[in-house]
Amino acid sequence: MIFLSSRRFDFFGYGILLFLIFFIVLPVLTVFLWAFAEQWFYPAVLPTKWGFRFWSLVLARPDVWSAFATSIELSLTVTALSAVICLPAAYAFARMDFPGKSAFMMSFLMANAFPRFALIISIAVLFLSLDLVGTFTGVVIIQLLNTLLLMIWLPTAAFKAVSREMEEAARDVGATAWQVFRYVTLPQAFPTIAAALLMTFVWTFYETEGAWLVGAPRIRTMPLLMMQMINNQLVVQYGAVLSVMLWVPSLVAILMARRVIGGDAFAKGLGG
Amino acid sequence: MSAAAMSLRNGWRGLAFIAIPVTAIAIFLFYPAALSIIGTLVRPKDGGGYTFSLQSYVFFFTDSYSLTNLGRTLWTTVVTLILLIAVNLPIALYMRFTKGPLASVIQALALFPMFVPGIIICYALIRYMGPNGWLQSLLNLVGFHHYASPHLTPWGPVIGLIWDGMPLTLLILISGLSNISDASIEAARDVGAGRLRILVSIITPEITHSLLIVSALNFLGIFGQALMPFMLGPTNPEMMGPFMLRTFSSVRDPLQASTQATITFLICSLAGIAYVRSISRRPKEDRT
Repeated sequence: MIFLSSRRFDFFGYGILLFLIFFIVLPVLTVFLWAFAEQWFYPAVLPTKWGFRFWSLVLARPDVWSAFATSIELSLTVTALSAVICLPAAYAFARMDFPGKSAFMMSFLMANAFPRFALIISIAVLFLSLDLVGTFTGVVIIQLLNTLLLMIWLPTAAFKAVSREMEEAARDVGATAWQVFRYVTLPQAFPTIAAALLMTFVWTFYETEGAWLVGAPRIRTMPLLMMQMINNQLVVQYGAVLSVMLWVPSLVAILMARRVIGGDAFAKGLGG
Repeated sequence: MSAAAMSLRNGWRGLAFIAIPVTAIAIFLFYPAALSIIGTLVRPKDGGGYTFSLQSYVFFFTDSYSLTNLGRTLWTTVVTLILLIAVNLPIALYMRFTKGPLASVIQALALFPMFVPGIIICYALIRYMGPNGWLQSLLNLVGFHHYASPHLTPWGPVIGLIWDGMPLTLLILISGLSNISDASIEAARDVGAGRLRILVSIITPEITHSLLIVSALNFLGIFGQALMPFMLGPTNPEMMGPFMLRTFSSVRDPLQASTQATITFLICSLAGIAYVRSISRRPKEDRT
């Protein structure tokens, strides 16, 4: 150990671990306990009766299914649109030279430099005059804006990482520009692009504030339904069951995506 | 085809490729922001025409409720920011200078909130730290009976926002600390520098950039949040996020909501400018 003596450092580490268990692990565990609790009265430390009763109750609710369908439809639409408009741009940023390139890249990063909710409010005010409030299109646009940065900057990094020598070698043996892209560039960049698509999909699925302001009450997505269930605390388990049911698959998806991307890319992309 | 003509063609193609996302950003981000700022200043006159008016701002700055909300937002932002750095800097330092299973566990746990959507964090925190929540049951078990829940107090959003901001803060700080070479620290030790001395003279200058980015991004993030303060915080006074939401959706006063948004933009522009300046100073290759 070069910075502190090792024993004290271990002690310090266990302190951090304890803090993280109380601050991060236990709250998440609470959700899981509630999801499998049929009865849990304060101050019992664990549920007084375990079971799956609320799972069937949640699955029997029509509003759950319709919100789920809305969310899936929205997320698919937004992810597809985002890919169509962002991937060519990402390729251009990685491989082409054009005037104003760094200024344009900056303009995407500048979207980060606004307070998000204030932006959503100003967009909603504009949508009010365009009659887009409460419409599917309005929500698609506001969520699409949310995804642009991620969908441009991750694929840009992916295209940049493809070796130029391999592309040039393919050109030398007579491949056309399209063939080079299709058979050399794209396969190498694909894992990162797939990860970016997956993350965009999951993020859009859980996007709450834009959908809330622009979509509610007519467009009801899953997070909005969850919000409603959390606020009307009549049956605590509904929120817990929904959280566990939806979040576990998305967690697996995101973990897969993160294996490809790596944490450093996030920090670097945001200027760290 | 000459090289110049080729690069010109390439240039046009590049511009065409980025045209749609750039236009989308311009139409749906910069235009509404500009529009709502102008819309609060230039009002339609009775009987046609437009007139310049600061009336909505006069209302905001003379309305004690609006001012209290702004004050509450600033308080939450500053407190959260200080706590975020106070919590994450030691963790980042620990992770930079230790390897081994404990460090991996800490890293996995500290980055975990990244995978938890905001709405689920809110739910988890309410059930955990809320009145008669699990934390209170656990504390009862060890004989502590004076638990006062932070849920629906000003500390509620602070806790939620720390949860939310932790992974990004940590990643950026670790990325900054990775610039420090072991060799430079060992060299300092060899000439007899103490721990504090190393922290102040070697580590701090290397992570100033990261601290600046972390502060700016979190400032913007906290100011621009509506969900956490809405779910975890008190309703009176409330933070700017839920305040704007209510003004727009329930009170149905888009003008005053735009005014609140513009004031938020102005306050956040300090952090925004700091952020943009510090990322534009980075070497070009790095920026992608």
